[in-house]
Order: sequence, then structure tokens, then C-alpha cells
Amino acid sequence: MKTRDQEYREMFMAEALEYYDSMSRHLSELERNTDAGPALNELFRLMHNLKANARAMGFTDLGEVAHHLETLFGLIRDKQREFGGALAKVVFTGVDVMGTMIRAIGASQPLPDATALLDNLDRLVRGEAPIIDAEEEAESEEEAGKKMELSDLVYIQVKKLDNLLNLVGELVIDRDRVMTLAQELGNPALLATAQHLFRISDDLQYSVMDARLVGVGVLLNKFPRVVRDVATAENKEVELILSGQDVQIDRNILQIITDALLHLVRNAVSHGLETPEQRQKAGKPAVGHLTLSALTDREDVLIQVRDDGRGINTEAVRKKAVERGLVSAAEAPKLDEQQVWALLFEPGFSMAEKITDISGRGVGLDVVKLALDSLGGQLRVESELGVGTTFTLVLPTSIAVKGALLVEVEDRPYAVPLMHTDTVLALHPGQLSVVGGLLVTHFQEQAVPLVPLRQLLYDEGDEPLPLATKDNLHGTQQVLVVNYNNRRLGLIVDRFIRQQNIVIKPLSKPLDTIDLFGGVTLLGSGQVCLVLDVPALTRLFLAKRA
Amino acid sequence: MAQSVAATSTAKPERAKPAELVQLIVFRLGDEDYGIRIEQVKEVTVTPEVARMPKTPPFIKGIANLRGDIIAIIDLEERFRLRPAGRELPERSYTVAVEAADYTLGLVVREVPRPFTLPLSQIEPAPEFVQDSSTRDKYLEGIAKLPEGGIIIVLDMRKLLTPSEVMKLPTKTTSS
Amino acid sequence: MNKRILIVDDSFYMRTMLKNMLTDAGYEVVGEAANGAQAVEMAASTNPDLITLDVILPDNTGLDVLKSLRQIQPSAKVVMCSAVGQEVIVTEAIENGALAYIVKPFSEEKVLEIVGAALQNDAAESAA
Repeated sequence: MKTRDQEYREMFMAEALEYYDSMSRHLSELERNTDAGPALNELFRLMHNLKANARAMGFTDLGEVAHHLETLFGLIRDKQREFGGALAKVVFTGVDVMGTMIRAIGASQPLPDATALLDNLDRLVRGEAPIIDAEEEAESEEEAGKKMELSDLVYIQVKKLDNLLNLVGELVIDRDRVMTLAQELGNPALLATAQHLFRISDDLQYSVMDARLVGVGVLLNKFPRVVRDVATAENKEVELILSGQDVQIDRNILQIITDALLHLVRNAVSHGLETPEQRQKAGKPAVGHLTLSALTDREDVLIQVRDDGRGINTEAVRKKAVERGLVSAAEAPKLDEQQVWALLFEPGFSMAEKITDISGRGVGLDVVKLALDSLGGQLRVESELGVGTTFTLVLPTSIAVKGALLVEVEDRPYAVPLMHTDTVLALHPGQLSVVGGLLVTHFQEQAVPLVPLRQLLYDEGDEPLPLATKDNLHGTQQVLVVNYNNRRLGLIVDRFIRQQNIVIKPLSKPLDTIDLFGGVTLLGSGQVCLVLDVPALTRLFLAKRA
Repeated sequence: MAQSVAATSTAKPERAKPAELVQLIVFRLGDEDYGIRIEQVKEVTVTPEVARMPKTPPFIKGIANLRGDIIAIIDLEERFRLRPAGRELPERSYTVAVEAADYTLGLVVREVPRPFTLPLSQIEPAPEFVQDSSTRDKYLEGIAKLPEGGIIIVLDMRKLLTPSEVMKLPTKTTSS
Repeated sequence: MNKRILIVDDSFYMRTMLKNMLTDAGYEVVGEAANGAQAVEMAASTNPDLITLDVILPDNTGLDVLKSLRQIQPSAKVVMCSAVGQEVIVTEAIENGALAYIVKPFSEEKVLEIVGAALQNDAAESAA
């Protein structure tokens, strides 16, 4: 488990080693040319930074040495001292000592004593001659040969990683194309090379994705403060439990869900958990428990926000949803628990009874759903009245590569992200029935509406879907059951092509306004394949349902 | 008229003093010649495989993979209603990739587009009287009258390629 | 809404620490610049409410950067960050329009106090 302190420490170490290396470099330059202004400025700056950072980390001895050297370099820069002779010797010793100190910090060992060095530096600053003993001199000669260390950490801008990932995406597409060609041509040598290329680019892709992973902890560790503030404002007593900080996830995904998670946590404290009095009255401990945990589930990362509060009052939500016009009064009683809970994440729904500083700013939980939709993630809700509520964000580990099912409609391939697929069914007409103008099948004891994907994609205009009949259904129907916000929908397709990992490219302007498509991917054949956006498809279906 | 264009394309205009020259990429739509300033053209290529894009107006042929960029392919004959009856696009057509401020579009054309140079002074602002005829006129930079007779209608891509102009979408269909 | 802050410091470690402190406190860190050129560019593109500016930067002295920032973003409040020992520069910085300064190493409370005060007092001389 990596705490923030550990992260600071690693950062400090990496940067300190880098500074140390640069100092050594600039010192050699200064030795060759004592008038090297830029080198002097750099040395001054590096000392200054090392001083500040070391003090912030509590390494006062290292900070002291850097401070003395900074002062000295300031004097040299202002031409009050000259670099050379005994002064240069002490400076070299000083930088060496700092190197030793930095390494000692890295190895969690005690720092060497620097009193003699500091005395000498003081003397130099005062304009006196330093005291150099012969033994020390010999020792430093001996040491000269051995120390060469580069930092094990490299900082890299996320932008550069994004670029790398995009390039790998392109490479993978071309690789698939080469593979297809090789198979068509049937040349064994070409095929073997293509297969090798396949493996290498797979490894490469994996490595690049791996480089973008960070621990979920970098986000979770921000929450103790948030929870404390919200709890104080709401007069709640909350114990926050964090777990799974080590679970790895793409940095950009974490960025995208930051606001969503913030909302869920604030919501849990201000609405989920009761006040101490209410809790005691209900026979619960006064202190509420809020658990933020991350775990991996196959390819996905789950982030859970669990509270032991009052639970969702399903009937109150149902009533509110009708008041807000989200469902009709006739429709509302038919919704099951899950469907009602899903309404919490509709735009404009807010359960806040009073406007507080913390929530009820008109921003509802719909931001959670929006963030998840943009990632192709899912939201699960579990709740028991009086016992508590758990929200689970189901997230892909990596943004770029998604498992998808390729289906065909009217000779064109379409990709459906696996994240939103439940199952595929081959149904003969006897397994279908028409209910209220809709085709319906029963799957896992649930009535699932079916719609030909062709109709959703190609029927123009705002007219409702034509009333379904079984007359024009011939033979077995290929059905892909998709799931969005606990709502299942069966899409009738011409055929299933295969399952495949795809690299999704966003649609560029002006086509990005069509929300039915989450992007495009290029198939191995070079064919352009649209990626269907299941949330938008579901919404379209609901809107066009007669 | 196409011939006249080809004939003049090599000949330097006579008044080649300090007259500002404009280079156009010229292509046919219906029976008319259209031109786009060369700086607005990214490349000209044989039309790649176009994937039909549902929920778009008919003049959007679909999307295509142009060297890794996925671009929309637009049919201006359809857009300006210039398609002569019974003359569908040929099997092998060409695409002029034009650049808007932040995206690229492909214009599909029947014949190989040709470069053509003329003095800027030859391009006259679009006359008022055509303004009721079709949407096309909103996108005109002007009309070039060629000395040999014939005209080239010069389009301004920056006006043509605003997303709302391109899409003219019944976006309501996808909102709930 | 949240006040937007641009951090200018050549040390990654310092930037991260400042950023964590500020974001924890509910500020939005709109950018992190590691040198003067970046600082000026980011200030122009992000239009921050407040800029924390290290006095010693690689390509420019912090003072020159301060002057440029005051020119391109006169509305942005600037708080100088400096380790002890550079008080001369800091004084000059205040004369050039910086609102306050923070001495490194800094405590979270101090940073938040100074940043909060600088953001609140439009014209106040809230040197700490």
C-alpha cells in the first residue's frame, strides 16, 4: 500500500538524484571554465530546490549543506568569490557529501555527519580559508571512481503517454491487417513473421498500457479530507475505511471518474449516513461507516462506495421520480427496485431534502452516470433499507483497448463493447412473443424487449418503431442482449462475426454529434467499423418505443 | 467547358505583373465546374471504402479511413441538388480532402480534380441574383469568368464546413 | 465555483506537494508550469485566479516571469514561493505586484491561509 508520504518520498528521491547528477555535470563545466554563467545559475537553482525539498521532507542536515552551498554559489555568481583552489575542493566534497546523504535517505540509513563540511563552507562564506585534512583528501580521491547513479524513476507527461498509446493503437490495427494479408497469401515465412509481429506488438501494447497505470490510492487518499469536511458540515460522525489503494488503473480513467467519486462520497455522507442521534435511535453505533474500496474483477476495476446508513427508500424515489416527470404515474409502479434506483442517476433527480453547502447545488448523481458512460463503464447499486447502500463503479482497466463483439447488420460490421453485453441468444420464433407492439423474450426470468438493430440504426425520423409482428421473422433470430443502467435490451442482428479486442478511435467533427456511436475502429481487413454506444442506443429505443 | 479549363491551366495569365495569383483545385459537380483554393485542400485521392453512417443526412456518404484519419465523406452534388437524374456516382470516384479549422472532410467527385491558376482579380464576388436558387450560394467565395468563356464557381470551405452546415441533422432522433 | 490556480515551480516534488494541498482544500489546479515560458503560456491559456510562483526558475528569474504575468494576466493574483534566503527578490516581487509570499518549506495550513487571503482580498497587501 502506497501512502502519500511514500509517494512524496519517491518523488523527492528521484528528483534529488537528478539534481545531484546535474550538479556534478555543472561543476565539471565550472572547473573547465570558471566564468560559465549558466552553469553557475543552474548550480544556484539546484541547490535552492534541493534545500527547499529536503527541508520539506524533514532532512534538515541535507537542507543545511544545500543551503550553505547555495549561499556560496550566490557569492561566486556575484563575483565576490572565485571558483577554484581550496574553494573548489570544498565544493566538490560538499556535493559528494550530498550525494552520500541522498543515497543514505534512499536506503533509509542514517545520514553522515557533515559538521566539518559545514564549518568549512561557513569559513568560505566569511572569506576565510577552509581547513582540509590530508586523510579526507585521500578518501575523496578513492571515492571518485565509484559513484555513478541515475534515478530509477523517469517523469513523463501524460500527453506523451497518450501519444504513445495512440501510436500503438495504430500499430495494432496495421498488425491485424498484415496478419490477415499473410493468412490470405499463405506464405509460411510471411505468416511466421506476422505471428511474431503479432506477439511483439501485443507485448508492446501491454507495456504501454502498463506504463499508464497508477494505483487507485492516488485518488482514494484524497478522500479523508473530503469526508471530514462534509461530515463536519452535516453534523455527522463518519469513520472512513480505505482499501485496495494498490489496484492499478489507467491514469486518465482515474481522472475522469474523480468528480463522480466525489459526488458519490458526498452523497453517502450527506444523504446515506444518518446523524448520530438518528443512528442511535435505530440501534446502530453513533459513528457511521463509509468504505471506499477498489478491487479487480477479471479485466475490470471495481470501485465501491459503501455506507451503513439508512439505505435507499425505494418508494420515496419512485414518488419523486413521478413528481419530477421522469416516469409516468402509470409506469412507476411497474418498475422494479433496480429500475427505480437507476432513476437516481437521471439528470435533474435529487433526493436532497434541504439545500446544504455540500450537495443540492443542482448537480445530481447524473454526473456519475455521464462519467461512466464516457468510459464505457457501469454502475451497480445495492441497498437495503436501514442497513446501507453500496454503489459500485465498474471500470475498464485501460481506456484504449476494449473487448467487443462484432455483429453484422446489412453487410456492415458494428462493434458492441463487451462491457455492455450480457449474453447472445439464438431464438426460434416460438421463444418470442409480442406484448404491446413489442417483441419480447424471457431470459433469466425477466422479460427482455427485442428490437431489430436495423430499425434503430436505419429508420429515419422521429416516428415510433413500427408495431412488431412475428410474421416477418423467419428462422432463428440472432439476439445480442445488452445491458445499460440495469435495463436489458435484445438487439436482433444478422449474424455474429466474432469477439475481438478493438482500439476505439473517437469520431472526429462533425460526426461526433451523433451520440449513437462511441467511435470507430479499424478491423484487420482495413474496414471501418462503427462502435455502438449502448447507453445512447438504449435511450433511442426508449424514445422510439411505441 | 472542361476542355477550356484544361487548356488555360498551363498558360500563364498575360498580366503577370504584380497581380495576385490564386491556385484552385477544380472539379465537376453536375455540369458545372467548381474550384477550391489549394491551401484549403489537403490531398486528392481515389475514394477509399466508405462505410455508411446511420443517422446522417443523405449527402453524407459515410466515413472512410484516410491514412488512419476517419473522415466524413460528403457528396456535394447531393448537397447542392446538382445530380443529373440517372447519373449515380461512378464505381471509381475521387475524394478531395479539405481542411477546416480543426477537422478534415472528404468531398467525393466524379472526375480527377485538376489544378488551375488564375489571377485573383478574375474572381468576382457572387452576384446577388443567384441567392435564392440553392444553399450553395452561402458558400461561394465568388465566380471566376475565364477569358475563353466558361466559369468556375469558387467555394469557400471555411463557410461550408461548419459542423452545423455539414450535418443539418435531425439530432432530435437520438435524444430521449 | 472553485478558484483556479496555476502552480509555477521547477521542482516536480514541490509542485506535487502544492497541488495536493490545494486540491485537497477544494481549489482547482489548472496547470503546473516548470519554467517561465510555460508559466506565461499556461497563464494565458488557463486564465487562473491565482498563480503560485517560485522565485528561482531555470530559464528566467522568477521576477521577470512575474512582470510578464502581471502584463498578460493583470487580474490573476500572484503569490511568490521561496525558500529562506531569497528575501531580497521577494521584496522586489511584492513591489512588482505579487500579493504575498510563502516560505518553503511550507506547512499546509500556512499555504492555505496565504492563498485564501490572497484570493479574498482583491487589493490587500497580505504579505505573510
